[in-house]
Amino acid sequence: MTGDAAATPLLSCRHVGKSFGALAAVRDLSFDVGAGEILGIGGPNGAGKTTLFEVISGLNPATKGAIVLDGQDITRHAPEQICHAGVARTFQLNAGFDSMTARENVLVGAYFGRSNRAVPTLRAGRAAHEAADAALEMLGIGDRADKVTGKLPVLDRKLLMMASAMATKPKLLLMDEPVGGLTAREVDRVMDAVRAIKAAGVTIILIEHVMRFLVRLSDRMMIMHHGEKIFEGLPTKLLDDRTVVDVYLGQGASDRLRSFMENTHG
Amino acid sequence: MKSVRRDILIGLVCLALAIALPIAMPGRYVITQSTLFFIWAIVVVQWNLVLGISGIFSLAQMALFATGAYATAMLGFYWKVPMLAAIPTAGVITVAVGMLIGLACLRLRGPYVALLTLAIAQVMYVLIVNDTDCFTTVGGCMPLFGGVRGIGQFGDIGLRALFPSKWYVAHYYVGLALLAVAVTISIVVIRGPLGLAFRALRDNPGYAMSRGISRFKYQLWIFAVSAFFTGIAGGFYAIHFRVVGPTVFSFSTLLFLIAMIVIGGLGSIWGPLLGAAVLMLADEGMRELSDYRNIGLGLLLAVFVIAWPNGLNGLNGWLQRSRASRD
Repeated sequence: MTGDAAATPLLSCRHVGKSFGALAAVRDLSFDVGAGEILGIGGPNGAGKTTLFEVISGLNPATKGAIVLDGQDITRHAPEQICHAGVARTFQLNAGFDSMTARENVLVGAYFGRSNRAVPTLRAGRAAHEAADAALEMLGIGDRADKVTGKLPVLDRKLLMMASAMATKPKLLLMDEPVGGLTAREVDRVMDAVRAIKAAGVTIILIEHVMRFLVRLSDRMMIMHHGEKIFEGLPTKLLDDRTVVDVYLGQGASDRLRSFMENTHG
Repeated sequence: MKSVRRDILIGLVCLALAIALPIAMPGRYVITQSTLFFIWAIVVVQWNLVLGISGIFSLAQMALFATGAYATAMLGFYWKVPMLAAIPTAGVITVAVGMLIGLACLRLRGPYVALLTLAIAQVMYVLIVNDTDCFTTVGGCMPLFGGVRGIGQFGDIGLRALFPSKWYVAHYYVGLALLAVAVTISIVVIRGPLGLAFRALRDNPGYAMSRGISRFKYQLWIFAVSAFFTGIAGGFYAIHFRVVGPTVFSFSTLLFLIAMIVIGGLGSIWGPLLGAAVLMLADEGMRELSDYRNIGLGLLLAVFVIAWPNGLNGLNGWLQRSRASRD
């Protein structure tokens, strides 16, 4: 996977920086993501992980550097253009169109997310409706399609965000803490969902604090601290890195994670 | 699909009742008041697209209505444009003005949009009222926008000449037809992709943008779509009353129309129409109270905002739910 990433990166970030006045939230960050892989990003709170997603998705554009998706420079593109270029995103907070039904939520992605509509049609059309239903089915929430989003439980809302992201037919999916606040059984459900999304050919970047989730899904990992990359490599190499253990995981958590990884792999 | 069928059914029943009204109640007062109801209902239905569906607190709708009315009157007065051409032209002019206002509000949120749009309306009012220079002296001194007295003698759509004694019935049906088209358009917008985009931007702008919806583009769409029939309604108002004056900017009319939307049900399809009907009737009831009328209106508005924020339309849903829970 690491070799592939170097050969044909789907997403390439070159010296990306994001400053809010004097505060640099992301500093001179360079990394590649290969087509079809899952890159896991971890790091302490305030490390700039979510800011990195804001920068890639265009909601808060980069102040320095370049972001290239599939050969196309998207650094200065508007959020909707980046969506049309093939980058979808889920949010740390459970974003959703709360007054609309689950199906309408996904329909937004299916209708508006794939390409720019110069003049919208009078009706959404059969193709968009079918794509929306397919995305709901893929995430296993087809039976909740007519429920109002604001009244759905947390897990369903997270799955709904993924469904509406998938409805945009993304090449790259940015997932910001997809299992924050979920129970162990719900985490397993999301893990299956992420694997299904990967199997559908979508490249994924994951941000997560739940390390057991992150190390099991990621092909490669990156740890950020103070807006900089302090580690990039295979999950198995993570615990050998002294800086990561000192700055982020701590000795106790590292030991527990090591025995967890040995058990699942062995 | 079921809800679409319900909309069509409600629409047809209302239309049939409205068509029958002049036969059942041929009194001139009832018919002219109903025509006025149609005009306000058109404005309210279009305003609901901005206020309720898109969640943009624009108070510019009466200024847009005035734009349509003034454009119609001025086209007729200065250029002698026949009214049947002037009214649609006024609609297009109103769309342009609406998009400009939408552009001005692009970076504002919530109450700031209300402040800016109200300021725009007030500036228009003050400019018209304070202009006393004679632009033309044909038929007496007349400022460009007619000043305090307004503009008259700009022509007619010809129904007064065609039905000399029953012209008001003819205007009633014109108003009804315009309202029917305006409501149909609003339903198509609300139920279609445009409404989807407007509601998505209302619920969560950042999320909507990252799902491919351009805020800039659809904000202009909202203002353009809702402006056209508001302008047409303004044009119809002009030829119906044969004079357009600065009273169309009056704050009490603005309050009256906002109350219609809120009491009927913000963001619903039939709520604003229901609210317009209820308030027209309530206004008739309060006619004797003259100055206290605005106080009554304000009280009614306050009660609804506090007790039933979803309006009469929401009350209907609440009744259904409580009946369902009892069964």
